[in-house]
Amino acid sequence: MLRHWRNKKSTSTVSSDMLNKQRRYNSLVKALHADIYRYAYWLCGDKHIAEDITQETFLRAWRSLDTLKDEKAAKAWLITILRRENARRFERKQFTYSDIEQEELQDTLSPSTENKVEQHLLQKQIERLALEYREPLLLQLIGGFSGEEIAKILSLNINTVMTRLFRARHQLKQALEQPQVRGQSHG
Amino acid sequence: MDELKFRRQAYADPHHQSPEFIKAIKEDPKKAAFINELNNLDQQIESALNIDVPSDLSDKLLLNQQLLQHQGQRKKAAFTVALAASIAFIAGISFILFRLGPVDLSAYALAHVHHENKALTINGNIPYQDVNTKLASLTNLSNAKFTQQPGKVFYSTYCDFQGVKSLHLVMQGEQGKVTLFIVPMENRMQLQDAFADSKLKGLGFKIDNAYMLIVGDNNKDINYVKNEIKQSFI
Repeated sequence: MLRHWRNKKSTSTVSSDMLNKQRRYNSLVKALHADIYRYAYWLCGDKHIAEDITQETFLRAWRSLDTLKDEKAAKAWLITILRRENARRFERKQFTYSDIEQEELQDTLSPSTENKVEQHLLQKQIERLALEYREPLLLQLIGGFSGEEIAKILSLNINTVMTRLFRARHQLKQALEQPQVRGQSHG
Repeated sequence: MDELKFRRQAYADPHHQSPEFIKAIKEDPKKAAFINELNNLDQQIESALNIDVPSDLSDKLLLNQQLLQHQGQRKKAAFTVALAASIAFIAGISFILFRLGPVDLSAYALAHVHHENKALTINGNIPYQDVNTKLASLTNLSNAKFTQQPGKVFYSTYCDFQGVKSLHLVMQGEQGKVTLFIVPMENRMQLQDAFADSKLKGLGFKIDNAYMLIVGDNNKDINYVKNEIKQSFI
């Protein structure tokens, strides 16, 4: 309240501060909303929930935009907020897709052409990866983070992160090499 | 770099840049082919992860933020108005209570004399007719007056006894100067017959509709003025 009053006295600096903040936010949205949305999608496995989480994430980011000092850290910062938002979903006990067996999922990613079949299989396979393997891989491939950075975001040991990345890729590779086996197993 | 370590590293991060890792790739075509295979896999995974983003998502994000900000401003404004209103309310209430509260005339008189040292240093000579004019304008005291000069009056002015307009006179005692307050009577006022603090002594009594408070350095002066007033004030 006091800060609010003090700010009122220098209206011009306030409005330019607000303008600055707005610009930062706009460029943040523009540059990172796609990555954040994709990360959210692969975290929760549902387009609508992913959109909700993305919106919550950016609103929280707006509220505490002043705490973001280094623009280079923006992506890691947003992903940290996003992961907290995703966890909050479970605190609220609104259990959704993630708690249902993955096999019962709606087929939201239908292949349109033949050459997309493999991509579709891969997507199913990524969804099926355990979250602890999936998340480091998302951070590496969507986020573009290094092993150390992933370890920091997930609060894990670097060796643990490397092991999980190894298992994630290994599992995906195997699944692609024997698609018919996997197809039979739940066909 | 042994085979197992290489494979672990390759699976964890095929783009790893450590010199040891790069050297191993260069030296062994099998390893190079394996890395190539993994890079292809990464490309596949990346394009699989690259799902369509709703085209209006960024607009929605901006809109939400604008709405939030708008709401925040309205809340702030409402809060400010509420705060101002409650301050005004409390000020009003306390003012009313303040005016209705009991008034301890003696303490107030002593404080007044201590506070207004200047009044005791002024050496005017005010005729009792002037004092009567001032008395006439006090509420409830329009009929009170001095019938003759009550000794010498050095100074006379209006003063405020907790919202009650009163008269403040400085008069000649037997030796020193004495302050006299004439205060119109009100129910909430409390008067003590005699009062004092470390420096000053005081006396209070009623005449008709008025409280008389005499404050001075010693009892002789005070009693002298009291007699003067009793003779001249009706």
